Amino acid sequence: MAKKISTPATTDSVPAPAPATSETKLRMPAEEKYAAELAYLASVDKDPRPFAWRLSPRMIRTFVLGAGPGDSFDRPIAQKFFGDASLVERAIVTLASDRGLLLIGDPGTGKSWLAELLAAATSGNSTHVVQGTAGTTEDHIKYSWNVAMVIASGQSRESMIPSPIMTAMQRGEMGRFEELTRCGSDVQDALISILSEKYITIPELRGDESVVYAKPGFNMIATANSRDRGVNELSTALKRRFNFVTIPIVTNKKSEKEIVLFRTRELMARHTITVDVPPTMLDILLQTFADLREATANTTSEDQRLESSLSTAEQIGVLEDALLHSNFFGDKALQPGTLARSLVGTLVRRVPEDVSILNKFWHATAAETEGVKKRKKGEEAATSAAPKGEKSPELEAFVAGGKQALSSFK
Amino acid sequence: MNSILDPALLDPALQALRTQLEAAAAAFAGDSAHLGALLRAMIEDVQRATAEPVEVFPVKHHSPASALHMLRRLRARAPKVIYMEGCEDLNASLAGLHHCRFPVALQAFAPEAPAFPADWTPLNVVLPLTEFSAEYQAIAYCLQNPGTTLVFVDRSVDHVFQWMPKGGPPPGEDAGEADDGGDESEAEETAGEGEGEGASTGNTGNLHGGAVGLQIGDMQPTFGDFLDVLLRNAKVRHYSEWWTQYVEGPTLSCDYGTYRQVFFLVGSLLRRIGITEKDRVADCERERYMWTRIREHMKAHKIDPREAMYVCGAIHAVSPIPEFGSKGAAWTVPAKTPTQWFYGVVPSSYAAIERQFSLPAGEVSIAQSMWDKGLQALELKPFKIEAEKKAEGEGKPTVRKKGAAAPSAASVSSAAVEVPAAVSGSGLREFLTRPPTFVAADDEQLMRWCVDVVRLARKHGYNASTADTIAILHTSTLLARLRDRPHPSPYDFQDAAVTCLEKDRVPGRRDVRRLCQILLGGDRLGRVGYESLPPLAQDVYDRLAVLGVNLKSSRIERALLDIQGRPELLPASDLLWRLRYLGAGVRPIMGERTLGHKPKQESWDIEIGKHQGSLIQLGYEGLTIEQVLEKRLKAKAFEATSRAAKALEAAEDSVLYLRSGRLTRELGLRATELLRAELGGNDAPEIFQRVRGLVHYYRTLGMPDWIKDFVSTGYRHYATLLPTAFTDRGTAPRQLAAMLAFIFTQEALAFSMGCERSQLLIAVAQAEPEDPPKIALRWAAQWILGQRSEDEIRADFQHLLHSPMLLPVFPEYMAGFLLALEFTPRISRLAVEFLSRAFAALPDEVLVPWLPKLVVTLRPLGPGVMQTLVKEAGLAFPRELSKLPAWEFSWDRSVPVAPPPAPKARSEAKPAAKATSAAPAVERSPAELAVATLLRAEPATLDALAGLLGVPPTWAPLAPAAEASAATTSAEPDETSDTSEAAEPASVAETPLARLLAAHPDALQALAARLQALA
Repeated sequence: MAKKISTPATTDSVPAPAPATSETKLRMPAEEKYAAELAYLASVDKDPRPFAWRLSPRMIRTFVLGAGPGDSFDRPIAQKFFGDASLVERAIVTLASDRGLLLIGDPGTGKSWLAELLAAATSGNSTHVVQGTAGTTEDHIKYSWNVAMVIASGQSRESMIPSPIMTAMQRGEMGRFEELTRCGSDVQDALISILSEKYITIPELRGDESVVYAKPGFNMIATANSRDRGVNELSTALKRRFNFVTIPIVTNKKSEKEIVLFRTRELMARHTITVDVPPTMLDILLQTFADLREATANTTSEDQRLESSLSTAEQIGVLEDALLHSNFFGDKALQPGTLARSLVGTLVRRVPEDVSILNKFWHATAAETEGVKKRKKGEEAATSAAPKGEKSPELEAFVAGGKQALSSFK
Repeated sequence: MNSILDPALLDPALQALRTQLEAAAAAFAGDSAHLGALLRAMIEDVQRATAEPVEVFPVKHHSPASALHMLRRLRARAPKVIYMEGCEDLNASLAGLHHCRFPVALQAFAPEAPAFPADWTPLNVVLPLTEFSAEYQAIAYCLQNPGTTLVFVDRSVDHVFQWMPKGGPPPGEDAGEADDGGDESEAEETAGEGEGEGASTGNTGNLHGGAVGLQIGDMQPTFGDFLDVLLRNAKVRHYSEWWTQYVEGPTLSCDYGTYRQVFFLVGSLLRRIGITEKDRVADCERERYMWTRIREHMKAHKIDPREAMYVCGAIHAVSPIPEFGSKGAAWTVPAKTPTQWFYGVVPSSYAAIERQFSLPAGEVSIAQSMWDKGLQALELKPFKIEAEKKAEGEGKPTVRKKGAAAPSAASVSSAAVEVPAAVSGSGLREFLTRPPTFVAADDEQLMRWCVDVVRLARKHGYNASTADTIAILHTSTLLARLRDRPHPSPYDFQDAAVTCLEKDRVPGRRDVRRLCQILLGGDRLGRVGYESLPPLAQDVYDRLAVLGVNLKSSRIERALLDIQGRPELLPASDLLWRLRYLGAGVRPIMGERTLGHKPKQESWDIEIGKHQGSLIQLGYEGLTIEQVLEKRLKAKAFEATSRAAKALEAAEDSVLYLRSGRLTRELGLRATELLRAELGGNDAPEIFQRVRGLVHYYRTLGMPDWIKDFVSTGYRHYATLLPTAFTDRGTAPRQLAAMLAFIFTQEALAFSMGCERSQLLIAVAQAEPEDPPKIALRWAAQWILGQRSEDEIRADFQHLLHSPMLLPVFPEYMAGFLLALEFTPRISRLAVEFLSRAFAALPDEVLVPWLPKLVVTLRPLGPGVMQTLVKEAGLAFPRELSKLPAWEFSWDRSVPVAPPPAPKARSEAKPAAKATSAAPAVERSPAELAVATLLRAEPATLDALAGLLGVPPTWAPLAPAAEASAATTSAEPDETSDTSEAAEPASVAETPLARLLAAHPDALQALAARLQALA
């Protein structure tokens, strides 16, 4: 479905790619991965669609947040983004309005994922991406020239290399800008005219060719990291053209659990490993992260904080690492010690500082955590009938594994 | 009545609805039997509640729809009696509702309750009331129209606590914040809110403190999964939003009969699947209670059920218990505990209500805006609780006016109001089968909000402009459409404003969500009128009137008291100090209250308007502030665990704040009694400070007998304790010093009361301290008592400085000695001398670590001590540079250099020195003798050692009396055997080797140990 549009519009006529599968692409963009779902939703969508969107806002919401039994669809629509529904609604609505969307959040909160989903759902193409770095120039945002062609035949539309954003404008699709605040303020400001005038002028060309207008349906989804927001502060003019949507770190245990499981399953599917994470292990992981977050929140100085943001993505990373390790080098089943080692390995970034922080946490909180677990055990026993008797040995193994991993750092 | 209804009896319309629902269940659900049964039961619930002869009026707390229907219902036809859910004994506090600015809360308070766990007290219950609630409308109506009686029928406040689980945490604690492991629904809610801001509750959020909150018509689902499904399917964020959109809005404009049925239906749904089993059981208990009370009341007052109205939460309206209804089964009401309850009215605030019942922030103000809108749309005038005077004046006219107005009101709200008892079910069916209608779009209002929020944002430092106004309007419309609403709700508007305006979060700046709440009405703080206040609070208002500040203001008022210029302000100042002591919303900015201080000018921050609640609560404890204060002080002094220091503090406070000789005497005598029973000197420092202050204060006024009594008791008591305190490690030197200070500084007074010094002399003689600081303290005490001369003390300290073994502990001696400064400034000269010597003589590794400790020791002694020390130092050191060459210490001039270790000092220092075995031992143990013999048998090692050191190897004969020089088990070769111990140090000092060995005994000790081990 994505290809249908892209073939006529592209100037560099690429041979039509073979139907995407997970065999040919390591990671498929959202529109290909969920092509069937998108096609289905488009077929049942009866609401008016703004601009040239593929789906109506309500369907996009359903696509992102999943459908329940009450929505009466013929096929299951999985939930793809876990978070506050109103946040997603606000994001969708912003895209339909005149302003760009800026997603802000800590690393690993799912900003880019949400951006990709939204782009896939609105325009069926989420690949018009500019990655913001310290080295991003205005050329990356607007256009550049194919020097050889310019020498051979002069400046023309043919010898021009449009940026992903310009391509998105030409096609009326979503342009994405990752890590907006990483690039310099002057470069950022190139977006101002794109967002307000919705066209790019090319002074080198004359006549009709000198302006590239955005087709209806074009908008910008940018992401910014709240940790290094200070690196390059957005100018007021640019701020005014973006609506800011802040994505919080998921602190709700239940939905965090869902996210971790969902994402880990997906990652493991690549290796054709079926994931079987014992619920107790998942609890231990989540509880440890929750304790770490609490400990981090209680510290006063930056020195006593881990460099990691302790986001959900980190948890997924830890779990993935542990699963892979136990699958390839272990006895298939996930062992608490392995989990602890992965956790320590993932979280230690700066060697003397992070090790000492984790060391303190491990020894101060591990004992306490056991108490917490015991309390929790009582609670859970009331709600679920699962036997919790074996919990404490697992936790012990976990604590021991962590200590061992910590001691291996010099 | 309560059993499953015969289908034939069912209302035909309801019957039709039921058939339709059953068909739907069969069509959609996999297991239609269960769903069908549930739906059928729900319809039966509705039918039962509708058929009840007592008119059941279902409500939800702070619901404008309920309030509007109540208003219209009462305007149409007055019932004879209104039974209302709400603690029956709170009836007592209803009278206080006149003169109040709402929201206020009815309060029940029990300062002490022996029947309940100790950590629950004081028991405190609040029932907040807002103007736009059905209960308020009903109460207001009944207060205005004596023809209708209002009766609270729910379990009494006492039962509220009786039915609480006993083992749990104190009630009310979990009311505010949801604990992490707690209720899932609550956790959900806070998670949703968490994105906004945690502490947005404003500054009045904590108004209810730790009170247990009650509300009429509580309809919060407590079953987490149910709530999840509900919210997810309705695409709303929290329950309140769902309620507003699907129940509140549609029922606002429908007729009374439909309103009732819809509420019954929703109540039935919640009751059957929305709440946890625990809550359901508790609800049943309460319903039994209520119906029993209703029947009792109807029987006692001969009221026809048809003339009564029962206002309760929709959940209770559809109760399936057998006791339900005017003909329900009988039930005995459980007895109350003997707890004594006080009733009153306290101010409340929207933020406090939201916090108490964990509603999302801004919820109550949104409800208020809906109420205002509803009133306008229906052109109704709400009932208001007004001051009695006015009500009396207008009493008749209102009735007449009402009579005139009734037909018009009835015509407005159609015939449905006329037939409240026999409504047909068609309303409900229609309501459920047509697509949800919403409150009419109000574009103008939305526009106004958009403009206002941008203006407000600009005022608070946001970079907002007209472009944002347009964007907000656009976004809120889009959001509403996305959420299936034809018109943006306040929630959509809030979201849109946040999306468009909020860019960065600047700490200290109000965020946009909060601004929206302010815009939608904001927080409102209630106020209890003067006339409704308890006598104590009225008294406070009267007496503070002289200050000329607005006591009703909810902001901080600054009062300036020029007491010197206007002596009539002094009583007000006294009162302010008392209020401050009791913690009732006043704060001194300038001014102090200490013993003997005559106030000249004071300035105060007065926040009584905001902290009215605490003042009212004080009102439950007594009639005047003074009475409450006296009670508190007495309680403090006379409680079982009280200590002398505490009682003395209470006595001092009574002098400061009450100036009542009688009370002070009582408290003082209690302090004396407690002191007598005290075993240790733990509180001695505090007692000493207080007694010193009090004695000083009374010296000019004449000593009352109790302080004399206290001092003489203290003198005897501490003198008795001294010997133990000196030896007991549990008594710190500071405490010991305080005891000595008490004794020495209050000695004169104590003698006048018949104490005798001989007691002290004996006690000091008994003291056998072992710790260096205490030894020094004893020296100082002995010096004061004339048992030890200045020279002796000097010699003691000189000895410490000269003995290398004792040098490291010198600072400890000094610390103890300095503590003595507190009771005798005379030693300051000595202290300066010793400090100077110490600084000169102590090696760095002792001196440097000591210096910070010295500062720590000196600081608590206070500025007075430091002054004397500095003065002494000034006398001791030269004042001009030119005098320095010729200058010597005054003590060096006057006193000849003290002979190094005097025999007495030696014996004193022995215990410390013994440990090192460096001191000469007169008698040799058999082991030592063996070693000495061995050494003489094998002289090679020591000869070599001596050769290395360049000393001729000569061996002293091994005679029992002659080993003095060989005390350290190594032979001192050059030693001519001296038998006298006294002569020994001199001879030792002569040889360089001996001096070296004395300075470094460790080498020889190690050698000795090694040899011993070999032997």
